[in-house]
Amino acid sequence: MTFRDTLDLALRNLGEAKLRTSLTTLGVSIGIASLAGMVSLGVGLQDQFVSRFTKSGLFDTISVTPGQDLPGGLTRMAFAGRGGFGARRRAERAAKASPEAAPLRSDLNDDTIKELTSMANVREVYPSIRVPVEAKFGDESEGTLAAGVPMSAKDQGSFQSIPYGRFLSSDTAAECLLSLDMAKRIDDANPQSLVGKDLTLAHGALGSGAATAQPVPGAMPSANASRIDVPFKIVGIIERETGPFAGAAAVSGVMIPMGRAREILLATRTLTQALAPGRGVGNAPYNQLIIKVQHPQNVQDVEEQIRKKGFSAFSLNDALQGAKRAFILLDIVLSLIGSIALAVSSLGIVNTMVMSILERTREIGIMKAIGGSDGDIRKIFLIEASAIGFLGGVSGVILGWIVGRIVNFGANVYIQNQGGTPGNLFSLPFWLIGGAIGFSISISLIAGSYPAARAARLDPIRALRHD
Amino acid sequence: MTTLLQTRDLKKHYRMGTSTVRALDGVSLSVEQGEFVALLGTSGSGKSTLLNLVAGLDRPTEGSLRIFDQDLSQMSRAELNVHRRRTVGIIFQSFNLVSTMTARENVTLAMMFAGVPRAERDAAADELLGSIGLGERQQHRPRELSGGEQQRVAIARALSNKPHLLLADEPTGNLDSHTSREIMAILQHLNEREGKTIIMVTHDAPLARAYAHRTITLLDGVVVDEQREPGA
Repeated sequence: MTFRDTLDLALRNLGEAKLRTSLTTLGVSIGIASLAGMVSLGVGLQDQFVSRFTKSGLFDTISVTPGQDLPGGLTRMAFAGRGGFGARRRAERAAKASPEAAPLRSDLNDDTIKELTSMANVREVYPSIRVPVEAKFGDESEGTLAAGVPMSAKDQGSFQSIPYGRFLSSDTAAECLLSLDMAKRIDDANPQSLVGKDLTLAHGALGSGAATAQPVPGAMPSANASRIDVPFKIVGIIERETGPFAGAAAVSGVMIPMGRAREILLATRTLTQALAPGRGVGNAPYNQLIIKVQHPQNVQDVEEQIRKKGFSAFSLNDALQGAKRAFILLDIVLSLIGSIALAVSSLGIVNTMVMSILERTREIGIMKAIGGSDGDIRKIFLIEASAIGFLGGVSGVILGWIVGRIVNFGANVYIQNQGGTPGNLFSLPFWLIGGAIGFSISISLIAGSYPAARAARLDPIRALRHD
Repeated sequence: MTTLLQTRDLKKHYRMGTSTVRALDGVSLSVEQGEFVALLGTSGSGKSTLLNLVAGLDRPTEGSLRIFDQDLSQMSRAELNVHRRRTVGIIFQSFNLVSTMTARENVTLAMMFAGVPRAERDAAADELLGSIGLGERQQHRPRELSGGEQQRVAIARALSNKPHLLLADEPTGNLDSHTSREIMAILQHLNEREGKTIIMVTHDAPLARAYAHRTITLLDGVVVDEQREPGA
């Protein structure tokens, strides 16, 4: 018996009992709808979470610092992959295998930035720069650190929303952003009024023809130190985001374009070297480089390669992995809840098929008497079950989608009323659609296998006597 | 003549609660190819049980049952299935057509199980139903057909896989005498013109004697009488 014939026969059998078939299919479709809806909710929430946190810049970021031989061989442990028990043995084994594997490097300069930028999956490399400056507004002044902000940080992380004003306009513009804390220190009552005004940032430099140069008080006169005052226009104020990894997001009291920060850094270094030659300043201009990778999942790989080059590397990837595990758990819990409805509907399939066999016992007997094999009979019933599963799966996904849209709409109205940002709470990716339909067919096949086996085992003589 | 069917000390016992029913209790007989044999007996004599064993619908408890050198008592379920599909065609008293299928679909169903391609089995069903006088009634379902018509569909179905042996279990039991004679005429035609070997179970002795070459009478599971019918 060919598959096509079996399929024809199964479908016509289903068509003969339209009411029963459609009720059973409806049962399956409700089960699949609840399952798909629940998983879709889990996936939607995860998408929301991941996209928000990916945008925060925390999870596609690696911080690179000079390779260090920490006490207890910590660096080599890190190079071996993990710490913990046995890490020393692993590290020693790794060291034996390739003794020259990682000569430590500390050359965090522009050449290294180029080198790291050319690595696979790396989107961008920039130095983390914080330069000491004196900020002056009106008569008052305060010593602070000005952070360099790359232009790519626009709309990312702490710069996703700028409550007052706008983002920096170019890498060399004499513009700055303030944190709300800083702005309030300058003008407690009306911080937003600062936007558009000038903030003067002063730094030291080796004596040169700078227009505003004045002697730095207390500097050694022989070093010819001078003070450079540059007016920066305040273009925006952001809410300060504090966190363990704030450096990566370049948040500080005062933020200036990266190009400007680099200039100030170089000037300050030159001065420091002149004042105290050979002391206090390493041979590299930067203390820390920030690498942005293409996708958060590249982080671990790139981090590993950076370590092989001899630098120290750090990322929050593990935290994201933990969060993902939590979401997998959430998905499992949600699908278990959804599965209850599916379990009930699969009992419906068993019931329908058993009823159908009782009703068609004689027909099964006839089929066997005229040459239908046990396998043929089993296949007919299994295909009937999987056809119910397929129809139930397709209509269940559609039903789940409709319900999801309605719930999403209602939830978003509520969220907006509460002042939140609306989003897609339900996500229905292709794998979920395919998976739900496939799952529906498998469940139906499992539910149909007992009735099908029962039908196949029927004794033809008894079946023929059946009314 | 070639021997088509041979049984030796064939027994079929059923367990009914604590007692054992000896439906067949040592039957030895043989049927030649091309013969038309009638099995006579009252109800409970074992004649239908014997037919079911020959059909491969049931297995003997003891003894041998050979059809063309193959022993059915030694066959697996799958082999018995092939036997039902290829070697025998069965006609029942209550026709046993699938009620949801048309006459033509009932005939093609058997060929479907045998793996005959669609076009071929449609053509074969046309021809079979035409030859049996139902060419115009192919698309009717069983309940739209008379008893005689239904039995003719069943005969067409039994012939569809070109078996050597036709088994008929009370084929006229549900029919009036006029229709019975029509059906018997068809069976006789198949036996004489197409060389089909026929074993028919009936309790209608005059009918058996009128058409069969030989009658075998069973009682309580054993053969009690066997006669050649000179008239047939």
